Amino acid sequence: MASNKKYWKSVEELDTKSSIVDTLKQNEFVEEIPTDEFLGNKENLETSSTTRRDFLKYVGFTTAAASLAACEGPVVKSIPYVIKPDDIIPGVAEYYATTMANGFDFANILVKVREGRPIKIEPNKDANGSTNARVQASVLSLYDSLRLKGPKANGLEISWADADSQIISKLNEVKEAGLPIAVLTGTCASPSTKKLINNLGETFGNVNHVVYDAVSESAALDAFEALYGTRALPDYNLEKAAVIVSIGADFLGDWQGGGFDAGYSKSRVPANGKMSRHIQFESNMTLTGANADKRFMVKPSEQNLALIKLYQAVVKGIASREATPLNDAVQKAAAQIKAAGSKAVVVTGIQDKNAQLLALAINQAINSEVIDVVTTRNVRKGNDAAVAQLIADMNAGKIGAVIINNSNPVYSLPNSNEFVEGLKKVTLSVACSMQDNETANAVQYALATPHYLESWGDAVIKKGQYSLMQPTIKPLFNTRQFQDTLLTWTGSTSTYYDFLKESWNTEVLEGKSWNQALHDGVFTVDIQEEEAFISEVNIDAAGSELAKVKGSDFELSLYTKTGLGDGQMANNPWLQELPDPITRTSWDNYLTMSKADAEALGVINHNVANGALNGSLVEMSVNGISEVLPVLIQPGQAKGSLGLALGYGRKQGLKSEMQTGKNAYQFYKEFNNHQPDVTLKLVEGEHEFACVQLHNTLMGRGDIIKETTIDDYNNVDSKEWNVVPVVSLDHNEVEATSVDLWEAFDRSVGHHFNLSIDLNACTGCGACVVACHAENNVPVVGKEEIRKSRDMHWLRIDRYYSHEEDFAGDNELKDNGTGVIGYKDTMAALEDPSENPSVAFQPVMCQHCNHAPCETVCPVAATSHGRQGQNQMAYNRCVGTRYCANNCPYKVRRFNWFNYPNNSEFDYNMNDDLGKMVLNPDVTVRSRGVMEKCSMCIQMTQATILKAKKEGRPVNTNEFETACSNACTNGAMVFGDVNKHEDTVASLAKDKRAYHLLEHVGTKPNVVYHVKVRNTQEA
Amino acid sequence: MSSHYEAPIRRPLIVGDKSYHDITVEVAAPVEGKANKLWWTAFTIALLAFLWGIGSIIYTIGTGIGVWGLNKTVGWAWDITNFVWWVGIGHAGTLISAVLLLFRQKWRMGINRSAEAMTIFSVVQAGLFPVIHMGRVWNAHFVLPIPNQFGTLWTNFNSPLLWDVFAISTYLSVSLVFWWTGLLPDFAMLRDRAVRPFQKKIYSLLSFGWTGRAKDWQRFEEVSLVLAGLATPLVLSVHTIVSFDFATSVIPGWHTTIFPPYFVAGAVFSGFAMVNTLLIIMRKVSNLEAYITKQHIELMNIVIMITGSIVGCAYITELFIAWYSGVEYEQYAFLNRATGPYWWAYLLMMSCNVFSPQFMWSKRLRQSITFSFIISIVVNIGMWFERFVIIVTSLHRDYLPSSWTMFSPTFVDIGIYVGTIGFFFVLFLLYARTFPVIAQAEVKSILKSSGEAYKLFRDAGGKNPAPAKKITKTVKTTPKVVVEDASEQKNTLLGTLGVFDAATQTADDLKLISGVGPKLEKTLNTIGIYSFNQVSKMTEKEYDLLDSLLDSFKGRAKRDDWAGQAKKLKNNG
Repeated sequence: MASNKKYWKSVEELDTKSSIVDTLKQNEFVEEIPTDEFLGNKENLETSSTTRRDFLKYVGFTTAAASLAACEGPVVKSIPYVIKPDDIIPGVAEYYATTMANGFDFANILVKVREGRPIKIEPNKDANGSTNARVQASVLSLYDSLRLKGPKANGLEISWADADSQIISKLNEVKEAGLPIAVLTGTCASPSTKKLINNLGETFGNVNHVVYDAVSESAALDAFEALYGTRALPDYNLEKAAVIVSIGADFLGDWQGGGFDAGYSKSRVPANGKMSRHIQFESNMTLTGANADKRFMVKPSEQNLALIKLYQAVVKGIASREATPLNDAVQKAAAQIKAAGSKAVVVTGIQDKNAQLLALAINQAINSEVIDVVTTRNVRKGNDAAVAQLIADMNAGKIGAVIINNSNPVYSLPNSNEFVEGLKKVTLSVACSMQDNETANAVQYALATPHYLESWGDAVIKKGQYSLMQPTIKPLFNTRQFQDTLLTWTGSTSTYYDFLKESWNTEVLEGKSWNQALHDGVFTVDIQEEEAFISEVNIDAAGSELAKVKGSDFELSLYTKTGLGDGQMANNPWLQELPDPITRTSWDNYLTMSKADAEALGVINHNVANGALNGSLVEMSVNGISEVLPVLIQPGQAKGSLGLALGYGRKQGLKSEMQTGKNAYQFYKEFNNHQPDVTLKLVEGEHEFACVQLHNTLMGRGDIIKETTIDDYNNVDSKEWNVVPVVSLDHNEVEATSVDLWEAFDRSVGHHFNLSIDLNACTGCGACVVACHAENNVPVVGKEEIRKSRDMHWLRIDRYYSHEEDFAGDNELKDNGTGVIGYKDTMAALEDPSENPSVAFQPVMCQHCNHAPCETVCPVAATSHGRQGQNQMAYNRCVGTRYCANNCPYKVRRFNWFNYPNNSEFDYNMNDDLGKMVLNPDVTVRSRGVMEKCSMCIQMTQATILKAKKEGRPVNTNEFETACSNACTNGAMVFGDVNKHEDTVASLAKDKRAYHLLEHVGTKPNVVYHVKVRNTQEA
Repeated sequence: MSSHYEAPIRRPLIVGDKSYHDITVEVAAPVEGKANKLWWTAFTIALLAFLWGIGSIIYTIGTGIGVWGLNKTVGWAWDITNFVWWVGIGHAGTLISAVLLLFRQKWRMGINRSAEAMTIFSVVQAGLFPVIHMGRVWNAHFVLPIPNQFGTLWTNFNSPLLWDVFAISTYLSVSLVFWWTGLLPDFAMLRDRAVRPFQKKIYSLLSFGWTGRAKDWQRFEEVSLVLAGLATPLVLSVHTIVSFDFATSVIPGWHTTIFPPYFVAGAVFSGFAMVNTLLIIMRKVSNLEAYITKQHIELMNIVIMITGSIVGCAYITELFIAWYSGVEYEQYAFLNRATGPYWWAYLLMMSCNVFSPQFMWSKRLRQSITFSFIISIVVNIGMWFERFVIIVTSLHRDYLPSSWTMFSPTFVDIGIYVGTIGFFFVLFLLYARTFPVIAQAEVKSILKSSGEAYKLFRDAGGKNPAPAKKITKTVKTTPKVVVEDASEQKNTLLGTLGVFDAATQTADDLKLISGVGPKLEKTLNTIGIYSFNQVSKMTEKEYDLLDSLLDSFKGRAKRDDWAGQAKKLKNNG
């Protein structure tokens, strides 16, 4: 800055006429500079040893040296805590119990927090919590860089204060006009939020809370309400079931909110010679149908018929004598239900109140122990009629204000246009949204809400079980909870936290500790045994009403996928890349069609030169709405039926890579998942699928997935059905597993880890795949790379179809192919799956072979064996010859073809400053050119060992965990130390069902599979 | 070489009537002459291909192996296919130079130099692939057992890939030394003939001071034998070790004990085919038909036929063993090879490698140069597909059907392969213009035993080949004719220059003219030229006449401008 200060050099300057001052002004230097001394003496200069060239050399050197010294690597500053927070110890993870309740997924979970960052979701097993793939992946949605980052009014940023004052004045306007205020939310299981909405009503009068589920279970709720008086969903404890008959219910998927798989798996593991029998009638090949013992392909309209007949046979004792395959199947199922009595259960996924009534009536008639009508579930509350009424009222100008929370109706409503029109007619429209989605862009005020990991909250997922939600990180953006917003509008000065705590203390805790409840995540209230209220409903009338539903040539079944669900987490790359458990296709939705229909229409699926799958396109029209969709030919799809997944085709608030598929909600007329009157037309062009498994059958290789029947399992020696391959040693046939080229190390000392995978308990749900992604920083590679067969999943779930009716038939067929031509024709035939195949799932990760083929071939010893049984990768040492991957019989090694973490070509979470925050600091982020694979979560086992050591105790029984075994609440994956005999895995490894994958290769893996047992007993 | 005798029924290895000098001149001709248009065209094409390859390699290293068509199931495809293909091609050179040397096969001498050059150049191509196929090339030194900062971290001596490192580097170094040793006398020959100082300097450096003393020759022979002894096991070992990359694995279709001999046979097979391809072109372009004869090509065709049949046997054995083993994975691997999605590659392999060499049973076909050339190309295509079939079809459908997929190359895969072909030809074309492409020193040693003219002489009844030389010489220069012509020309010449009269004129000292020595002066005097005056009258016509009269120093008079010099001397005098 310029200054007016004058600095005096001497007293002389006071005298303005001083000659000295004048001279000094002219001459910069007081004394003469002795230039002559330097340059005058030419002779001297010439004799000087410093030549001009030398001088230039010195200048050059000094310049170079100076600039070199100036070169320094960029300094990344990390600032240590001045005052360390009590609960943050760098390097040590903290776990917080909380609850996920986003309107579609509800789960009691534990959140792993490292240095203040939530990085992983685990099931809260103390609270019977279980997690599906979406719950596991939800942590990444926290770090979604396209979230709504602050309040907006008509698309422009606004401050909270301005927004509040404007909204409150409009609310008052509405109040004065006497118009109702509609609060439209997704399923809200939170009692405190409901209280706040009531408070809003008290303040502004006439508040109408409309609950809207994008994927509706309204029919089931209506039916249950009609029969039992409460608008809730019954719970099913499938663990108790001996016979499960499902008519179109994907109960291992998202049927009635999902979460039934843990109980189901327990009933499927043979214990005391018994396991449940599961009969499935369905049109799409679902996860549930794939796990069934007996599966029938039934068109949606015929499912109604099947249900009516089942009702007649079980409840009324009328056996229809028609000799149709469907009728036979129904009669047999009915006989089995009758035989099992109260241990049987019937469930249906038909979105029709009458159908739901029939199913409930059957369960009532057999007095089923499986269904629980007392402790009901609150995971779906949507009311289709109320939503339809709201839209009508909005368009009629009868609504003053619409406040939307946790819902994206503009995207998910089939009549979204009407809703948008209606929004224009209301005085005030507000959306409280975490995402900058379609609805947030259609309303006047879009108020940013935090992710559930940044929020307080509560939920009653199941009657009597109160769950708490607590923040695990400070809000990343300028967001405010819906509940805090409501408090502000109603003029309260307290925060939602205070409100929540107070209402819990007064209403829930009964004097118990709030802190303890917060620590546990749940608080269970005893439910008094009460007789279920049953009202009289004319079931027969419901049946005859249901019988009126007409079918058509082509009928569409809308379903939700394991990955995207209702589509609210569409911007989550982990879920986009998670292959569908059945089709094993990622990054897409598509029309599934039976092979027969495809042939009739001229639809084809074929593999291009690099193996990737391409399929024909068809134009589908339903109710006057047309869309061009790709077709995937699906074995097991009922003839005349089509399947299409909801949740895709979102555009707003999504990275361009995530804008996959087509929006199927437009066909979801009247919230019915079955849509008749479909017309199809083949159109030009092809669609490119990103399918991770390109070969669908097991090729008669019965030793990969060993199977047996419950009868054989009970009555025949295990050597008969768990056949160990034999080799000839000194002219004696001995078990191949006993022959060894090498001398083995003594593995009885120290820890020796094994992972046991029960093929009976595994439903193929994919939670472990996402858990592995999160734990091990597995990169997302995107659709194009998946098409090149370059998925990076460390853990995959292989799905096989049988060519014959079942896999035993395949084995037989293969053994019967004689001669070269016979063999060739048989193998070629085996490549095609059956029309209604038997399905098997097999999770495959690195098998951690004790004699690993990968270890011997690595030229630089980058992969070698650990003392604890793990096959380890030293990424630093790897030069990337890929020899190990070639020599791996299980093909579990994954090569980093590109630099995935820092490469704009792969714009997924790892290339996003925010998305990087989800990375697990305990696991290296691999660079390009190195091989990576499952490490058996060595960082977790080491942490467990260290923890025990620090606490001065031996490792507890079953204390060792891997990410996958932790995520698997079905009990399919059990990890532990086989040298520790109390560990469950030690006995599992010796079970008579235990076998190793590809035993004959002699790799001696540390992953144990359990023979899949199928219940083929028909009554 | 103790005797110059060779059975008359053996066909000559040097056709035509060649002297030692002719051999020297003809071998040196491509080096001393200027490159023609054809060479430049070929070189430009090769260079462009090479540059494309370099571009593709830079792209790969800069971006990642992902730019190739590989995937999680097929971890090797064109990279290792090309590697094995190039190593295989390299085999013929060492077999020809080492094994045939030990077996005293004299026909090797015409082709061994180029065959060895081919070996070295193709091993250079081969060596490229194990390096660039690494995901992290910049850590390639990890595969060398060198001390490192990690203390005792050592390479994995169990890994066949490590054995490859040793096998290939040993092979390259031994081949190079062997090649160079053989080149010493020939480089010395080029050095001695070199006119320009730069070339002389280079060739004298390359020839390591070869003087041609008896001691030099004795050592040369000894070293050649020792190196041949060292190189012979390498012929077998290198491809054996390359085959271990596959044979020691657990993948059906790779895990095959027949691989070592089968790979060596295949390597010799493809190597000879490549030698045929190169030499059939070279003998034409560099006018070496006399040294690389039909006989050579026929013999190589026989080797191709035999090794091709061995390879065919191996293919069939593999199929038999797959069936006989009763292992379903093994059976399916071979069924899939023949009838799966890559059946066309298998068919190409079978028809090119097993079927096509069978034509060589016909003498007429194996003596046909054109046919040999076509078959040599076909065999190399077939051998490339053999490696592709082994590598890709075994990997793409192995144990677990869930991982089965396909492979298709990208433009980078193709670019690198074409680039190595370009690089190979760049090296070979440069070699053809700067190296003695025939081992002339060795060829000279069989001239008298296997040269056509000598054989004919012996057939005609001559006992000692020595007189044959005289006969040929006398036939060449008939003195009588020279004398007759000379007098007439002398008269014409002196007619223009004027006759020197010793009485009236004094003879000048013609030695003062630069380029005229005492001997030439005497010759000029015998013609009748004594004075500067006479010389100064010389024009174009006279120079020509003079040249026809001189035995040697032809053209010198004109070049040194004697007339001009004489004019000056005359005026000064």
